[in-house]
Amino acid sequence: MSLNIRLVVNGTRHRAKIEPALSLLDFLRDTLGYKGVKICCNTGECGACTILFDGKPVNSCVVLAADAAGAEVVTVEGLAEGDRLHPVQQAFIDTGAVQCGYCTPGFIISVKALLDRTRNPTAEEIEEAVSGNICRCTGYTKIVDAIQIAARQLQGPTGLTSKARS
Amino acid sequence: MDYFEPKTLREAVSLLARYGEKAKVIAGGTDVLVDMKFKEEPLCLVNIKRIPGMSYIREEKGSLRIGALTPIREIETSPLVRQKLPLLWESAHQFASLQIRNTATIGGNVCRASPSGETLAPLLVLEASAIARFSKGEKKLPFTELFLGPGKTLLGAKGLLREIEVPLPSKESRGTYLKHAVRGAMDIAMVGVAVLVTPDGGGKKARDVRIGLGAVAPTPIRAKRAEKALRGKTMARALVEEAARIAASESSPISDQRSSAEYRRWIVETLTRRGLEQSWKAVTGKEVDG
Ligand SMILES: Cc1cc2nc3c(=O)[nH]c(=O)nc-3n(C[C@H](O)[C@H](O)[C@H](O)COP(=O)(O)OP(=O)(O)OC[C@H]3O[C@@H](n4cnc5c(N)ncnc54)[C@H](O)[C@@H]3O)c2cc1C
Ligand code: FES
Ligand code: FES
Repeated sequence: MSLNIRLVVNGTRHRAKIEPALSLLDFLRDTLGYKGVKICCNTGECGACTILFDGKPVNSCVVLAADAAGAEVVTVEGLAEGDRLHPVQQAFIDTGAVQCGYCTPGFIISVKALLDRTRNPTAEEIEEAVSGNICRCTGYTKIVDAIQIAARQLQGPTGLTSKARS
Repeated sequence: MDYFEPKTLREAVSLLARYGEKAKVIAGGTDVLVDMKFKEEPLCLVNIKRIPGMSYIREEKGSLRIGALTPIREIETSPLVRQKLPLLWESAHQFASLQIRNTATIGGNVCRASPSGETLAPLLVLEASAIARFSKGEKKLPFTELFLGPGKTLLGAKGLLREIEVPLPSKESRGTYLKHAVRGAMDIAMVGVAVLVTPDGGGKKARDVRIGLGAVAPTPIRAKRAEKALRGKTMARALVEEAARIAASESSPISDQRSSAEYRRWIVETLTRRGLEQSWKAVTGKEVDG
């Protein structure tokens, strides 16, 4: 038995015929070719497969592809504008928060979601936002640096002064 | 595998009646999808996510009513839950990662009936009820009777959880949820303890004490004998310590890869004592003394 679904990925409309047991992760990678979504534990533990589902970060390996019918999905491929990287991507590069890079797309999506929620995250909010993402290379310090730099970048100069005044 | 996306509760329960044990309900899917990948696919999957109006938190006649499809993250970010049911809030806050909290539903947590299910000990202590739909009608199943064993509830193969009804605890009461896990919230609880304490008017005696234990028996349990030892008594240190020891003796933990049974019992004792002390201090402003 198969079913037809339509969804939007990174602003592009897709329509596909899928098996009902298919995970959203396998659908995005293998059916649609978004290889920026990484597969690692396949059980919701590591965060490598994190995507935005209607704006919220989820592990695509534990979501049914069928549930994405009618949804808007954003993967790491959807963040850059042409050649200009998203500030979160740029900050990861600038601070050296990337080593092997396997965890990076998942982290970047979690951080994008965090900075969509707040431009001024506390240390606690940063920790909460990425506690579902595991990195076996960097030791996390540079990732936290990258998040702070990206947050400052997104605040812009006015954001900072208004914060200083308040 | 047959697959259905029922649009109404009636349609969903009639599918369950038709397929019986062959059917598997899927909500958020954080448990079911993992089972499908690493154990086996069911013969029939009933995806209830498209039934409208099953995700809500509302206050009604002295209770909070929570729709079965409400994500854990909605519970964590609900000001109503934070204010009226801090005990449940705490368990939602300590529940896995943000990604999982966005996907996992409270109904799935309850129906999974894992002894370590984060929200179960708090809901047991809050004396919640499950509002379940069967093809013949609706039943209200108190949490104290709901759980039959790991993965088994009174819903059986044919019942669908529609709502969780949580009576608001007395305004003078205070609750604490303590989770013990190696990797904090991300990890499955080795032990979870929920405590709710209501002092009497004088602030010396405990009018009511409820203790719920998770992950240390085939189902989440109430430590009834420990509760009894404290009810109506002056909250003195020796008595609180004694009650914590009784709670540990009421648990029947297993040894597994997370810890030994003996260690779990030690943790039950420690967390029960700590939960009682913290709740007492929060509600009376005083330490449990002498
Ligand atoms: C990485 C990871 C970390 C986790 N961490 C935790 C944790 O810290 N604490 C914790 O408690 N759990 C944890 N879990 C387990 C899981 O996320 C929870 O049990 C979750 O609440 C299940 O909800 P769901 O909506 O995803 O359920 P599903 O997987 O859709 O369903 C779970 C079970 O409930 C049944 N079911 C669901 N809804 C209904 C309904 N309305 N009526 C009848 N039956 C129903 C299903 O048939 C199934 O048996 C974790 C899981 C993963 C993958
Ligand atoms: S691959 Fe999905 S969380 Fe690890
Ligand atoms: S950079 Fe290698 S896992 Fe994170």
